[in-house]
Amino acid sequence: MIDAIKRNWRVGLLVVAVLGATIVLFTPMFAPDPGAEGIGNGTDTGSADGITNLQFGLDLDGGTRIRAPLVGYTATDVEFNGDDPATVASNVAGQLSNTTSTGVNAELDDPSEGGTGAVEVTDANVSETEFTAAIEAAGYAYDGVRPGVTEETLEATIEVIEGKINEAGLSGGSVREIVDASGRSFVLIEVPGEDRNDVEELIAERGTVRIDIFIPNDGNGTRNRAVVTQDDFENVGTASRSDGGGSYVPVSIVDTAPAGEPTPAQQLQQAIGQANQQAGNPGTDGWKCAANPADRGKCAGDYTQSEEPRLLLVVNDRVVNDFGMDGGLLQSMVQGTWANDPGFRLTTGAGEDSFQRAQQISINLRAGALPAELGEGSSSYISPTQGEQFKTYSLIIGILSVFAVAGMVFLRYREPKVALPMVVTALTEVYTLLGFAALLGYPLDLAVIAGFIAVVGTGVDDLVIIADEVMSEGDVSSKTVFDSRFRRAFWVIGAAAATTIIAMSPLMVLSLGDLSGFAIFTILGVLIGVLVTRPAYGDILRMLLTDR
Amino acid sequence: MVAIEVPEVEYTDYTNRQLVAIPLAVLAVALLILGGWYLATGAPADLGVEFTGGAELRLSASETSDLEMGTPEARAALEDPDTFSIEPSSIQYAPGDETYIVTFRPEDLPEDAGSGDFGDIAGEAEAAGFAVTGEDIVSASFGSGVQTQALGGVVIAFLGMSVLVFAMFRTFVPSIAVVASAFSDIIIPVAVMNLLGIDMTLGTVAALLMIIGYSVDSDILLNNSVLRRTGGFYESVQRAMRTGVTMTITSIAAMIVMTIVAWVFGIDLLRDIGVILAVGLCADLMNTYLLNVSLLRWYSFEGVSR
Repeated sequence: MIDAIKRNWRVGLLVVAVLGATIVLFTPMFAPDPGAEGIGNGTDTGSADGITNLQFGLDLDGGTRIRAPLVGYTATDVEFNGDDPATVASNVAGQLSNTTSTGVNAELDDPSEGGTGAVEVTDANVSETEFTAAIEAAGYAYDGVRPGVTEETLEATIEVIEGKINEAGLSGGSVREIVDASGRSFVLIEVPGEDRNDVEELIAERGTVRIDIFIPNDGNGTRNRAVVTQDDFENVGTASRSDGGGSYVPVSIVDTAPAGEPTPAQQLQQAIGQANQQAGNPGTDGWKCAANPADRGKCAGDYTQSEEPRLLLVVNDRVVNDFGMDGGLLQSMVQGTWANDPGFRLTTGAGEDSFQRAQQISINLRAGALPAELGEGSSSYISPTQGEQFKTYSLIIGILSVFAVAGMVFLRYREPKVALPMVVTALTEVYTLLGFAALLGYPLDLAVIAGFIAVVGTGVDDLVIIADEVMSEGDVSSKTVFDSRFRRAFWVIGAAAATTIIAMSPLMVLSLGDLSGFAIFTILGVLIGVLVTRPAYGDILRMLLTDR
Repeated sequence: MVAIEVPEVEYTDYTNRQLVAIPLAVLAVALLILGGWYLATGAPADLGVEFTGGAELRLSASETSDLEMGTPEARAALEDPDTFSIEPSSIQYAPGDETYIVTFRPEDLPEDAGSGDFGDIAGEAEAAGFAVTGEDIVSASFGSGVQTQALGGVVIAFLGMSVLVFAMFRTFVPSIAVVASAFSDIIIPVAVMNLLGIDMTLGTVAALLMIIGYSVDSDILLNNSVLRRTGGFYESVQRAMRTGVTMTITSIAAMIVMTIVAWVFGIDLLRDIGVILAVGLCADLMNTYLLNVSLLRWYSFEGVSR
């Protein structure tokens, strides 16, 4: 018995693979989490069909996929000459007549020797030549300019889009970065069930943002509303790390107004001064929640507990963040000098998640505006009913192709002992591959289906080679004759498999197409075939053909 | 009962020159077609929407309109110049899915529009009484990037395959025979595509890469049989041929079925892959058993003894 198992270990391996695939495909243990937040979890965007644990991609489930680069230019290795990023950005923006400073960002990469970093423009109206001319005019040396935005802006944009999809309650949506072979980055947005217009509207949607001042008023807190409104922001930076280990978002307020009227910056410092007075001039060290340092923890998560005024960041009429104020900043506002250089930093302390919190604040401040706009790319939409039909059609195409193969094989061999195991083996290959798809949570789409059909094709080719080889030159009666013939057949199969894998591998890297699924599953199928199923067919054939 | 019997070919009746002439002539014609296409259109093949940019709509019957699909009225509604603000470049009908596939080209866009700005073609189709079941839009600038990558992908795959083949056989003539026949197997289907009016799409690129894999199968089988096995040259060729022809015909059958069914249901990706593979595999039969065999025969009888 043990001897028989040993001799037929290849068949054993096949049985194990089939059982494994069955477990992965049908047991609830491997079921994809329903309603799990698919956002940002790589390719895991499909949904299960209920019977099996297979997940389906947009082709087969319906939905919209948008691929687009982000509009902008980035100058790399810019020498900041000791200026801080906000100054660099505003200097460059000052040289551009057709954009506000919100359209220009600077990121410090290397603080040594006056600092070098990247400067980007995200305003679609600015051309590459205008941008390079502006950097030169502002007096900064740079290494080169490439189309696209900085990694920070790309991440921030992806996060804003993710936030929008989440808020709209669209489950299974995903937003991620893809990089093509030439190194250019694109944003890939996938939203199941929605059409292109809905998705584009959702992305373009703007919310409202304002800053309120909370005044404690001895426990009867009041709010001085909208001391800064949406149009008052001159520039909202991306999250940056400060030297002390904390993180911050630089913000500056508009300081221009029609003659005779106070500028938004002047209005803000006036409002702060009033609030400080109303609260009874609490501490010269700034607004710190409570005078007693031991009590300052109580503001965390509940600004209404504060004994001193606080700034509230309000997005779509909901308070999303609240801040105290640094002593120096408060002093300059109270004295009325701050409006001459109307910028401040919203800091997030030195905690572990401080940078993430700063990123979130930057996103909140933008109220849904993307840090960089989506440029010209591609979009595709399949309606859910059409996706459902594609599933049926793919199944029909698959079954008919297998019938065609089976028909040819029966015609050629006219020996069910040879042909039947051949068809069954080819089918188990597809079945095992489906198990892999479920295990990886890889969403099936039309390209993957094409990969399955390609695998059946190469699979049957190999099985024909094995069958012909072992049956050549008369009957196979002994195990040794069989084994030597089988090994010869295997050399050809292995060589063919290696070339197929080499030929398909470029497609895996070309992430722009929808064809990486085709390549991945063809390669996986060839591997499973060569390592598991095709050798097993040899064993099965031997059992049927040899005497012992 | 019909049975497939691979016929025995009397190779001894023909000289190497005669055998090689046919595949080389076909390859030359194919190259001429590609060259002509390049001179006439600026590209060796007609490029599809994914490469040139453009838009494609899938339209089926709408619940709110009694326009029936597949009728002259439906086609007339699509061809009516008032229906779309941009003139469609082609209108296809998929009978199995009762769906029209309407294609728009970037060159038909108004001059001031961006290369990917096809406006509200989906809304226009709905207004004409169709339901939109699919919409694909590719801007021209994005498409040209895809084009470069796809071409690069095919070239890299081909080089990779060549290196591997040389590494496996370590002799020049048998290796170059495999590489030459794989090259011809790729060129011939592209020429046939041009003649049939099929556009090059991502699906066809995938199929071309797949041909590299498939084509090498039968060549390796033949080389292996001739170079590594005992027995006479003709016996070895015959043995490899029996297996190889079965393999290739089986695959061709599967691909023809896939092409027809996918065409009926309007699944272009699978249709394109099927057509290219079917044509490429037919070319492979010719190249393997005429070109490759005669190169091997020359190598076995004359090349080695030199």
